[in-house]
Amino acid sequence: MSNTAFYITAKNLAELGKNNIPSELLSGKNLVYSSPATLAFNSPGAQGFGVKRAGLAVPESVMLLVSPGCCGRNTAALGRDRKYADRFYYLLQDDTDIVTGRHLNRIPEAVKEICSSRPVPPKAVMICITCVDALLGTDMERVCRKCSEAAGVPVVPCYMYALTREGRLPPMASVRRSVYSLLKKRPKKSNACNLLGYFSPLADECELYKLLQSVGVKNIRELSRMQSFEEYELMAEANFNLVLNSEARYAAQDMSKKLEIPFIELNNLHRIDKIHAQYMALAQALNVTLDDEKFYSESAKIIKNFKDKFGNLRFAVGEWLNADSFELALSLAEMGLQVNEIYGTIGESNFVYLKKLAAISPATKVYSNLSPTMLYYDKREAKIDFAIGQDAMYYHADKPGIKWNSEVRQFGYQAVNDLFSAIGEVLQ
Amino acid sequence: MKSLLKYLSPFAPDLAGAVSVLFELDGVIVICDAGGCTGNICGFDEPRWFTHKSALFSAGLRDMDAILGRDRMLADKLIAAAKISSRKFMAVIGSPVPAVIATDFPALQRMCQKALDIPVMALEASGTKYYEVGAAQSYITLFKTFAVEALPVKSGTIGVLGATPLDYSTLEAAKVIRKHLTGDVRIYGMGGTLDDVAKASEVEKNIVVSPAGLKAAEYLKKSFNTPYEIAAPGIADELEIGDLSGKRVLIVHQNFAALELKKRILKEYPDAEVATGSFFNAVSKDADFKFNSEEDFRKVFAENSFDVVYADRAFERIVHNIYKGSWVDFPHFAVSGKLLEEL
Repeated sequence: MSNTAFYITAKNLAELGKNNIPSELLSGKNLVYSSPATLAFNSPGAQGFGVKRAGLAVPESVMLLVSPGCCGRNTAALGRDRKYADRFYYLLQDDTDIVTGRHLNRIPEAVKEICSSRPVPPKAVMICITCVDALLGTDMERVCRKCSEAAGVPVVPCYMYALTREGRLPPMASVRRSVYSLLKKRPKKSNACNLLGYFSPLADECELYKLLQSVGVKNIRELSRMQSFEEYELMAEANFNLVLNSEARYAAQDMSKKLEIPFIELNNLHRIDKIHAQYMALAQALNVTLDDEKFYSESAKIIKNFKDKFGNLRFAVGEWLNADSFELALSLAEMGLQVNEIYGTIGESNFVYLKKLAAISPATKVYSNLSPTMLYYDKREAKIDFAIGQDAMYYHADKPGIKWNSEVRQFGYQAVNDLFSAIGEVLQ
Repeated sequence: MKSLLKYLSPFAPDLAGAVSVLFELDGVIVICDAGGCTGNICGFDEPRWFTHKSALFSAGLRDMDAILGRDRMLADKLIAAAKISSRKFMAVIGSPVPAVIATDFPALQRMCQKALDIPVMALEASGTKYYEVGAAQSYITLFKTFAVEALPVKSGTIGVLGATPLDYSTLEAAKVIRKHLTGDVRIYGMGGTLDDVAKASEVEKNIVVSPAGLKAAEYLKKSFNTPYEIAAPGIADELEIGDLSGKRVLIVHQNFAALELKKRILKEYPDAEVATGSFFNAVSKDADFKFNSEEDFRKVFAENSFDVVYADRAFERIVHNIYKGSWVDFPHFAVSGKLLEEL
């Protein structure tokens, strides 16, 4: 066996096509290498939002995790955060439970005990279950109904089924559905919309707020900005939903069906012509005029200034960041910047970016963080000046870089501006 | 309800204990899970993982693997990873998924062993037990696999069993222990090597610093007649002991650590009344109190009046409204996940 990390150039990968991706780049074909670069893949909640933390996005809710002890272990770290300190509860399964499912009978009693033990009862209880109940085939909807009857509060399941990560409804998509499932139908208000997709708010400066306000949408609601359960319930009066992350699509579909709120999906893009085109498409869908000229020009100016100063930089782009690695790499390449390495997971959704990237930057090397061969990744062989993404920074700890994975989310032109400003700050 | 945690987070599980023993020994370690368990260990329970490059993998199990029981496919992935990694052994460690589907670990071990020329160990953890169970299993399996030769005893050599960051709550545990011992000290799993494990029969005596090392010590005594002592040198060095004369004291930790501190307190304040208690170490009879739940813990405080408590701060929440004495933080990483370095 050769002791080198597997990679393939963008050109060769594009030629192979999305149906012939080498097995080294496919997580299901190998063991998953666990380095600090893959922590977010194995355990999204280790740093950031996993199912447990995401489930608590519903204001004034508490969570009961029903699992063997190991599944809730890292929540000890989350419990140090005052926002979550007294909102997590655990019903531990033993060896008999995980085989027979006898723990199911204890859940309603546990929920009742939790509710009565708090000075003020919670507005909702989220019950998080794990791979164990996925394999047992637990009917969690039924269990939640029983809990609700016993405790007199709404009870909702959150499925932390790591086993279904690459399935039709992965855990992070499923939990997005759960957190909006408590909304009840209300009369629509034409000046209200919701932004779905993230568990933390967009940056206050994001132009999306201003653009929506310019066409009369005054109530722009995001789950993470809702301070109380009553405020959260107002999300049901939205005239439309904007889906900013495809993992919220299922939630949007549910809301469309149950609450009759239509939705429009927007992508997190970094090419300003594409951002402009997307806003124009949004304007058309809403039957309004959106004037983004000012934002476009500002971003164009920032990109030009950056290129004038740092145009010769060679980038490594990771996947532990607030962007699709291939879309971001393509954007940088189209701006005339050099992307030498990508550490990312290629699939059907982002192969389109890879194909375009292959045309303008054929020699870009594509690695998979998850490949066992990454044990041998040798940074000395990489010609990199700047790393973008927490994983890329792990590989190139001696080079300047930005994590670009803050909890406050960047979007649209503002993301482009902030990206170059953050890189510039580090370089200066 | 006994199995309900209202104040605590779950303690370090068996698979974390199993990994902590093997982590520094230059093997391929594979957690047989869907990814989350590996993430919990790497991102939380194994603090050395951030600074020490290791060949640690997740099996990346998916629903169809579990439903169809595709062990051949799993074995092929294990073999491929072991070949790529060029390490000295491979350890395959269980998690809740294989526990539910009753994966045949001995068979998996045999399938891999046939194709590999390094020893393969299979450790059946389920994620439902505490870290000490997995750590004990790791020690035993390691010694059974590697310490096969009875070597002449070397004078002045000491083996240390049970030292992991989970118990010592510091990355410097080896240094702390060495400060208290003289001679050729071999700390299995922290600073020690696989060669030390293979030569376990040549040590003059073993020191067992946590209950996790006890079964291995008994095994080595039976196999090589190596005597052992129980002590947890240095584990309470950082603690300041005030005036405890005539005071009622409770120490909560793993039993050997609690006993070490008790010894120190009684040496300075023979008239202190010192009790120990633990949520761990079901096999040990040394503790005055055995806590099986938060309710048990609370009950002990309700029925006894302690002046001073030495315990991880994470426990304080359980009794915050009934205990009014002083609380000295005695960190236990397996409980709170806090290292002394972070305090």
